[in-house]
Amino acid sequence: MKKKVASVLMGLTTLSTLLAPLGVANAATTPKVVLKVLYMNQAGYTTTVLQQMGKAFEKKYPNVSLQFTFLPYGQMHSAILTSAAAPTAQYDVVLSDLIWTGEFGIRGYTLPLNSYIQQNVKNAADIPQSIWNGFKVNGKIMAMPFLANFQNFYYNKAILKKAGFNAPPKTMAAWLHQMQVIKAKKIVQYPYEDSWTQAEGLVCDYVRTAGEFGNGNLFNAKGQPVMNQGAPLKALQFMRTLYADGLANPNSLTADEPTAANAFASGQAAFNTNWTFVTGIMNNPSQSKIVGQGVVTTFPVAPGTNRATQSASISGFQGLAMTANTPASLRPWAWKWIQFATSPAVQAQHLHSQWPVWSTIASSAQERKLNPSAPVYQKNLDAVYNRPIVVNYLQVSSIIQQYVHEAIAGTIPVKQAADDMVNQINALRA
Amino acid sequence: MLSSAIVRVVERVSVSLGTRKSLLSRMWHRFFSSLTGEYLWFYLLLIPSILLLILVVIIPMVFAFRMSLGNTMVTILGGKGNLSMQWVGLQNYIQILQNPNFWQAFRDTLYFTVVSLLVEVTVGVGLAVLMNQQFFGRKIFRVIVFIPWAIPTIVNAMLWGMVFDGDNYGALNDILLQLHIISSPIVWLNPSPLFTNIPWLSSFMNWMGGSVAMNSMIVGDEWRTLPIVAVLLLAGLQTIPNEYYEAAKVEGASAWRQFRAITFPLLGPIMSIVLILRTMQLLRAFTLIFTLQQYGLPTLSINAYQQAFSFGNFGSGSAISFLIGILSLLIAVVYINRLYKEEMS
Repeated sequence: MKKKVASVLMGLTTLSTLLAPLGVANAATTPKVVLKVLYMNQAGYTTTVLQQMGKAFEKKYPNVSLQFTFLPYGQMHSAILTSAAAPTAQYDVVLSDLIWTGEFGIRGYTLPLNSYIQQNVKNAADIPQSIWNGFKVNGKIMAMPFLANFQNFYYNKAILKKAGFNAPPKTMAAWLHQMQVIKAKKIVQYPYEDSWTQAEGLVCDYVRTAGEFGNGNLFNAKGQPVMNQGAPLKALQFMRTLYADGLANPNSLTADEPTAANAFASGQAAFNTNWTFVTGIMNNPSQSKIVGQGVVTTFPVAPGTNRATQSASISGFQGLAMTANTPASLRPWAWKWIQFATSPAVQAQHLHSQWPVWSTIASSAQERKLNPSAPVYQKNLDAVYNRPIVVNYLQVSSIIQQYVHEAIAGTIPVKQAADDMVNQINALRA
Repeated sequence: MLSSAIVRVVERVSVSLGTRKSLLSRMWHRFFSSLTGEYLWFYLLLIPSILLLILVVIIPMVFAFRMSLGNTMVTILGGKGNLSMQWVGLQNYIQILQNPNFWQAFRDTLYFTVVSLLVEVTVGVGLAVLMNQQFFGRKIFRVIVFIPWAIPTIVNAMLWGMVFDGDNYGALNDILLQLHIISSPIVWLNPSPLFTNIPWLSSFMNWMGGSVAMNSMIVGDEWRTLPIVAVLLLAGLQTIPNEYYEAAKVEGASAWRQFRAITFPLLGPIMSIVLILRTMQLLRAFTLIFTLQQYGLPTLSINAYQQAFSFGNFGSGSAISFLIGILSLLIAVVYINRLYKEEMS
């Protein structure tokens, strides 16, 4: 009996050994293209949405397999940088924030997509110019627009009504007045909470506030920093006033965007200036105590400014980029994925998750049905200011963060902080 | 056989070069001579560890040092990623040492290190002495004290983030508000100055790196690391013979006198080891601060990381890392010298 079992086992082993090369040979005839994709953990197009898109792509192209890596925003840049240092890219397609456009474009970490777009994207003009501008450096398009994020002005209509206001503020003075009245009437302790922790979100809020005062461009046409004059200086003074007068929650100095959104959704704040994801939170009963009370609108602006748009927002666009050390054999497939994920057809399937980059989709009946605030969104999108596109943006941003934070907290007088900011940036660029 | 042959070859080469009496030659001779005797296996068994050390410590260290001497950045050449290291000599070091932000980061790190060590020496010794006493439930107490050490650093950081949340739903604010100790929430993680009612002290502390946020970081870090310090000190306490205390009691020494004359001096050697270990860890502190503040409290390690991985200046990042290493080394030398002196005396 033992001999029989042994001989059967021997036979099976021999058979499997003989057949193994056939299996390998079979697999070798249909080589699988593996694309490595780096994406960010975030609201809007979440990791789940991305995986759904990936499955649809793999269904369309069965010989391609997508390998996703999802990282928090804070780790994205360093991951792309270290991938670029390797002989062959660790990630073939990466999600690229518009603030990295200058660095990636000038240092050549990602590939210009102009030729791919010219050949394959027939309706490129359907993406607003304001979005394209965020990804252009010296005429080269460094990423295909994927995510049209921008800030909106949110207010709690119940709190405003209690304070005696029937409409949101249209000017900066009116906004300040409404906050003062809300605080004086003790409807809430702090009418406003923003994301002023020393991080990139603070720069976004500073640029947007400068925009509300008429000019969100922190560098002039000659490329010189201008934070110590005009609208950027007024913005810094305004932010300091909000903090010093107790109109902004002191926690703003350590809050990021989700924290500020949660404070608004919990009914603790009358106003919130934040990215589009707040719309979903404030209307979700499991996350919000103000369902039906939160309203999205255009930003208040200083009188006589932003005449064309009557609002001023900040861009937070993200695109899909192809890394420069992606092997040549993979590039056509990398582009196919970029084109697929950014296509109007795919974006139209995910309107509940994210505002599309395509104008025709954004103005479609489907979008208006899903998002009654679509016209407001469009106005704010048309009114975006971009953060500076410079090669060493992250160093410039670090200086801005430090001095804006100190100016708001009052550790340095506003004018001195603005002057120091300009001097340090000039020294950096010298 | 082989080793003795090598020795002979080395001798011949040394003679031919006329450097037989040189120090180098003597070292070589001693090394290869030792291969012939009982140390042969000793060296053979050491080879894998030495190779591993060379591979994962020495080579990366030499590479990082080379990076610190260059304008090191990521470049793409012919579709291949690379690190270009244009030689700049000591320029990175000079620029860093001339940068006021570096010195602020240095003071921040020093404040974090010194205050943490003070807490560890005082509270740590107190805890160790307490755990060394005979009392009911001592074993359970020791286990409870040790629990925070078992928590991963990143979890500890997230946990303290919730405790220190600046809104009134932050755990600490909530408790203090309910006890009516504070009337409105305190923003614990904001780097606001201390002692604001004494302007000169406030500005001095601010210059030194002391702030509300920094103190919060110290509390969060100490909560996790104090247990291991206390346990190491407890091990030291248990080596002190009980007879010393009995003799002191007979002589009528008070508890404080016993602590001052017996416990503290005899804890010296273990204390020095703890201080060396902790100083090195504290100078490199990163996870807790980065998780809760990102670049808002730029200590030296965070400065190094930001230079390398955010700004892409791998040369400057490496240079700062080496400066941290040199600083740690200097402090370690001071401690070790002190330790030897204590042992000699």
